[in-house]
Amino acid sequence: MQSDNSGPIVKIRDVQPDCVNFVLSECDLALANSVRRSIMAEVPTLAIDIVEIEENSTVLADEFISHRLGLIPLQSDDVDSLLYNRDCSCGDYCELCSVVLTLHAKCTSEGIQTVYARDLLVEPNHSNLKIGQPILNDDANKGSVICKIKKHQELKVKCIAKKGISKEHAKWSPVAAVGFEYDPWNKLKHTDYWYEEDADKEWPKSDYCAYEEPPNPDEKFDYTAKPNNFYFDVETVGTINPNEVILRGIRELRNKVAGVIYSLDEIVARNANEGNAENIGGAGFGTVYGGATQYGGTAYGGTAYGGGTQYGGTAYGTQYGGTAYGNNSAGNDDYNPTTGWD
Amino acid sequence: MGSASKSGRDHKHSEPDEAFNELLKPVYKGKELTDKIDTVEDKWNLLPAFLKVKGLVKQHLDSFNYFVDRDLKKIIQANQLILSDIVPDFYLKYTDIRVGHKSNASPDAPIEVLLPPHECRLRDITYSAPIYVDVEYTRGKKIIMHRDLEIGRMPIMLRSNKCILNGKSEEVMASLNECPLDPGGYFIVNGTEKVILVQEQLSKNRIIVESDEKKNIVQASVTSSTHERKSKTYVVTKNGKIYLKHNSISEEVPIVIALKAAGIISDLEILQLICGSNQKYQDIFAINFEEPLVKHNIHTQKEALLFIGERVKTIRRFGAPKLSKLEEGIEAVANTVVAHITCEDGNDLKEKGLYLAIMARRVVMAIENPKMVDDIDYVGNKRLELAGQLMSLLFEDLFKKFNSEFKMNIDKTLKKPNRANEFDALLTINVYSSHISHGLERAISTGNWSLKRFKMERAGVTHVLSRLSYISALGMMTRISSQFEKSRKVSGPRALQPSQFGMLCTADTPEGEACGLVKNLALMTHITTDDEEAPIRQICYNLGVEDIRFVDFSSIHVAKSYTVHLNGTIIGLTKFPGNFMKLFRFLRRSGKISPFISVFANSYQSAIHIATDGGRICRPLIIVENGISRVKEEHLRKLKLGEWGFDDFLKNGLVEYMDVNEENDSYIALYEPNIEKTTTHLEIEPFTVLGAVAGLIPYPHHNQSPRNTYQCAMGKQAIGAIAYNQFKRIDTLLYLMCYPQQPMVKTKTIELIDYDKLPAGQNATVAVMSYSGYDIEDALVLNKSSLDRGFGRCQVLKKHTEVLKKYPNHTKDIVSGMKVDAETGEPIWQHESLGPDGLGEVGLKVDSGQVYINKCIPVNAGDSMLGNNPNMPNYGMGNHRETPVYYRAPEPSYIDQVMMSTSSNDQSLIKVLLRQTRRPELGDKFSSRHGQKGVCGIIVNQEDLPFNDNGISPDIIMNPHGFPSRMTVGKMIELISGKAGVLNGSLEYGTCFGGSKLEDMSKILVDKGFNYSGKDMLYSGITGECLQAYIFFGPIYYQKLKHMVLDKMHARARGPRAVLTRQPTEGRSRDGGLRLGEMERDCVIAYGASQLLLERLMLSSDAFDVDVCNQCGLMGFHGWCNNCKTSEKVIGMKIPYAAKLLFQELISMNIAPKLRLGDVF
Repeated sequence: MQSDNSGPIVKIRDVQPDCVNFVLSECDLALANSVRRSIMAEVPTLAIDIVEIEENSTVLADEFISHRLGLIPLQSDDVDSLLYNRDCSCGDYCELCSVVLTLHAKCTSEGIQTVYARDLLVEPNHSNLKIGQPILNDDANKGSVICKIKKHQELKVKCIAKKGISKEHAKWSPVAAVGFEYDPWNKLKHTDYWYEEDADKEWPKSDYCAYEEPPNPDEKFDYTAKPNNFYFDVETVGTINPNEVILRGIRELRNKVAGVIYSLDEIVARNANEGNAENIGGAGFGTVYGGATQYGGTAYGGTAYGGGTQYGGTAYGTQYGGTAYGNNSAGNDDYNPTTGWD
Repeated sequence: MGSASKSGRDHKHSEPDEAFNELLKPVYKGKELTDKIDTVEDKWNLLPAFLKVKGLVKQHLDSFNYFVDRDLKKIIQANQLILSDIVPDFYLKYTDIRVGHKSNASPDAPIEVLLPPHECRLRDITYSAPIYVDVEYTRGKKIIMHRDLEIGRMPIMLRSNKCILNGKSEEVMASLNECPLDPGGYFIVNGTEKVILVQEQLSKNRIIVESDEKKNIVQASVTSSTHERKSKTYVVTKNGKIYLKHNSISEEVPIVIALKAAGIISDLEILQLICGSNQKYQDIFAINFEEPLVKHNIHTQKEALLFIGERVKTIRRFGAPKLSKLEEGIEAVANTVVAHITCEDGNDLKEKGLYLAIMARRVVMAIENPKMVDDIDYVGNKRLELAGQLMSLLFEDLFKKFNSEFKMNIDKTLKKPNRANEFDALLTINVYSSHISHGLERAISTGNWSLKRFKMERAGVTHVLSRLSYISALGMMTRISSQFEKSRKVSGPRALQPSQFGMLCTADTPEGEACGLVKNLALMTHITTDDEEAPIRQICYNLGVEDIRFVDFSSIHVAKSYTVHLNGTIIGLTKFPGNFMKLFRFLRRSGKISPFISVFANSYQSAIHIATDGGRICRPLIIVENGISRVKEEHLRKLKLGEWGFDDFLKNGLVEYMDVNEENDSYIALYEPNIEKTTTHLEIEPFTVLGAVAGLIPYPHHNQSPRNTYQCAMGKQAIGAIAYNQFKRIDTLLYLMCYPQQPMVKTKTIELIDYDKLPAGQNATVAVMSYSGYDIEDALVLNKSSLDRGFGRCQVLKKHTEVLKKYPNHTKDIVSGMKVDAETGEPIWQHESLGPDGLGEVGLKVDSGQVYINKCIPVNAGDSMLGNNPNMPNYGMGNHRETPVYYRAPEPSYIDQVMMSTSSNDQSLIKVLLRQTRRPELGDKFSSRHGQKGVCGIIVNQEDLPFNDNGISPDIIMNPHGFPSRMTVGKMIELISGKAGVLNGSLEYGTCFGGSKLEDMSKILVDKGFNYSGKDMLYSGITGECLQAYIFFGPIYYQKLKHMVLDKMHARARGPRAVLTRQPTEGRSRDGGLRLGEMERDCVIAYGASQLLLERLMLSSDAFDVDVCNQCGLMGFHGWCNNCKTSEKVIGMKIPYAAKLLFQELISMNIAPKLRLGDVF
């Protein structure tokens, strides 16, 4: 795909507290989309998962309130310091795998009182970390509305927030929406403009048109061309800052690839031990992934990676695209999937 | 919901009091006082004004109010006296009747109801008020007046003027746990809400001419209905001659004899009356003079009366004196034939003769010109019977029965020779005081209207008010059921009638057998109540109508002379019909007579008809005079400022009510520019052709009409908010949506019926495209993240009622506490959700198999109390047996509410409400507002779904194949308007024949950087590539329907069997088997899979081992044939148990089925 080995390039166009706009270029469409999917579905965050209801005399049912509490965004910058509840050795929940929040609201006055997310109090076990505090992004710093109560009504709950990913439930999604666009001039003709009279007049121009050359009508259509610039517009819900969301998304993606490579390698190793390596795919399998063994096994294997911090930050882009993975993906291109992957 | 970016960015906190502020605004729904007044645009404001005065169920309330305020008094008057057969000078006379008030109560004193309505619902009590009568009777020689005697309790219609909610503010309603948006118009009987449906029937006391061209019969019929009688009189042709036919006369009476009996003796008069001077009519009628003369030799009235008297079928009532034949004849003509014409002294039967002659004339006219028949499907020939009328029939029946039993009781007491005390009639009255209450209660709760005096039995008059959604309850209040039989295969009554326009909704009717027979009222319909006839008659005479009684018969059918009919009965003649009608209408418009009295001319019959009777359907229209609408800008301004209400428009003669007949006689312009010189009226608002339920549909005028009909049926099944008091209700089944939204594309009707305050659905972002193949056949693809965030989430609440009985032997049912595990001290698993009182604890989970009411009944409930010490009933566990209520369902529930109370008969009542919260799952049913239903076919992760360049992904993907054949263009426009509204931050309108214009919507889309067609470029969520086609993408209001997989899923491997046949039970509720039916069986036979057949039909069902004796062919037992007393030839075999049962049943009727067994091969 790319002639040089420089790897993907990220150009950040705009950063705000809850969104980032960047251009990802010099990479494949599949990779760009994988990043998008990974951001949406794989980045772990913290969200209330279990609610112990002590007193609920509001008009809303327990499940209703629990559902609402679950959807409240909680500060998840340091969520990596928590274990997944399923991996934790505790029986129910503990401070290694969860954050406890409490809420106690009682209306003693006439009229209607509103319970907001800011009324959630984080129990101080993780006080030195940025974790578990409800996100209050609105002007009044109140956060989301949980419910409304009138005189003598009371809501007293204990919430256990756990680490999770959005694949399981949308409450763990770090992002609200991920804008994704490429080829604003439709040079690649991936889409047919539906029009009645004139497509150019009837269709609005993309904002990103300014960043690319308009098509030359005299130019011949290049049917081998591939998309190169991918315009991302990531908006977070506030739990993790936008840059971090992207980085963690890429990290999760890389983890997954590493997982695949690691398991494949294991199979190869097992087969080699059993002496029937020829049963798998082609004979070249082992050699092509020879480099990968090292990669999966050492650098990414198991716990060393789990901490995740070492991969954050700036060094990432080059490290990622340049060395280990770049080679592999190149190798991957040559590889025939039909024969190889079974 | 799917467009998370929108919710994220535009999240502004609305002030908590916003809803209140809106209510305080002087003008409703976004209209400012300073806005320019445009009569064309703003005349629709009359509609909310109309609904403000009348409410949505005004027909029911008006009818009931009329019944309690006026009809009751009439009934009392008609049945005023009770006399004794024993003591001649005894009498008891009813002088007055009141509901809910004592005589000395001030007019604004609260109604004496026992309990507020919501408490009645919860405690299974009837919401009723006492009926008080004032009586006057003799005690000895004295006349005694007695006031406020309670003779029973009357169920009260909610929101009627006898209801405590009448005219109450929202705060008061809230304090009574009532929803201010609830329309009322129903009764609460034993805790259930019952609606008396509007009954449609043919007009009473009107001549209807029909013809049967095949049999060559023309008949005029009239159904007479008075307080005492209902009877039907026919004037029919038979072999070209005209006869009078009536059920109580055994054979048909030649019309001439009938007329002679009624005192029109001269043949000339008869001819003049029936034919006038029309030669054709005379030729047709002449033959009728022959038979009476030649065959029966009848000339005089007496002979005619005798003739009839001999043919009367007499049903003598007990104790009535025997009548002579002549008297029978007089009786028949005076009281039975055309019974609604009353002849005061019995001798002057002329008016009756006149009526019969008119009937005969109509027959002659129809013979001459077959087009002169009436259309029985014409809405003008229909009358609607409402709750008030039905209640009044029932009440009169019960009151008569009450009186006759009261009288018998008085007679019984008076018969006794020596009474110690002076007789006081009131001492006996109270014995029957529950008669009326129970009669009314039973009729409403069962729906069986049995009226002794008309020998009428009608079932299914009342229905339980459906509380599935707000709309379903509202739809039920506007429903009209036809008396027509559902099974008959005629299209006429089911077809859409042009005269329905504006009166009955053109879209809202069920599919299937009741199609076209069950109708719904349109938005502005009003149903009249009875008005007094006498003053109208007098007004007619004052306006120059010649009294028919003093007119020479020869002048009746003169050219240019119009007959004037009042409620179908001829009252006079006028030479100036146009002028008369003009004057009459002037009186009505100036408020001198009731606005609901209609007048119209029928030029074919040369007749003017005036109607004052109840049950006519009518609607308001703006009066147009000399080509100018009477409603002008200044009037609308007054309306907007709140100075004027709808009644002021009526009073000032700007607007008038028109019934169907009068409407048919006028020239109505749809919009102001269409007014011509001859225009008489102007429509207030065209969208009122639809009813409340069809009014929810956005852009219905762009849809194929059956789709609107389907939506009307589905809107009633949508889950949403039910009422403001929904969490206080304990209903058998309650579906509530967690996050209902008002639709992005509203209609004016939606605002008028407050659907925007109690919505049932959510605005889903829809992509119209194919995805995954799990969307064929109308299936929908749902976004998993949307479901996570609460899309389509609903609560299902189920009630369980348990009554703790008391038994005659002083034992009673009890609720015992939970059982505790001896070692741990924890309650046993079955009792985990119980509290210490033996009832489910609110908030706890109940799993299948757990107990939530631990009820115990006494072991010895049947024992007599003799021998036991009644003062020491033993409540110990030893004397009680546990009969706990188990929870059985595939999914657990939570206990939402537990109520303990006492019902009306003093037994403890326990109601437990169980709650489930459900998120949509595969197979749940959804529908848009355009009759497009579909089930969820697959739930897809958000990252896999297509998205647009902003990252918005759809909540629902709908397959485009849903469009071409359904032609629901309204749905597409809804999407575009909705999308424009979302981008613009406004709510758009899809009102019928109006609403936001597509062009404007497209303009908004273009302004906001979208394509005008509503299509977007989407990217595949799986590959990231953009989709080749452009996708129709935007918000559509989706309803979640009550049909959910969880309530339907069912499978069985082994399970219970029926006792008698030992075959698997039937139905999901009994964990039944899935039947391999006859047609399936045919398939298996045709395929030749005999072993499969054997397995399915016998082995998996009711296989049974029998011992058959091959000698006698009968079944033995244990290898022994009891018939042959041998075990020699007994062979064991397998047959279906049902076959064995059949053999034994045959044996029991002395048929011996014998089995001959042989080798197969």
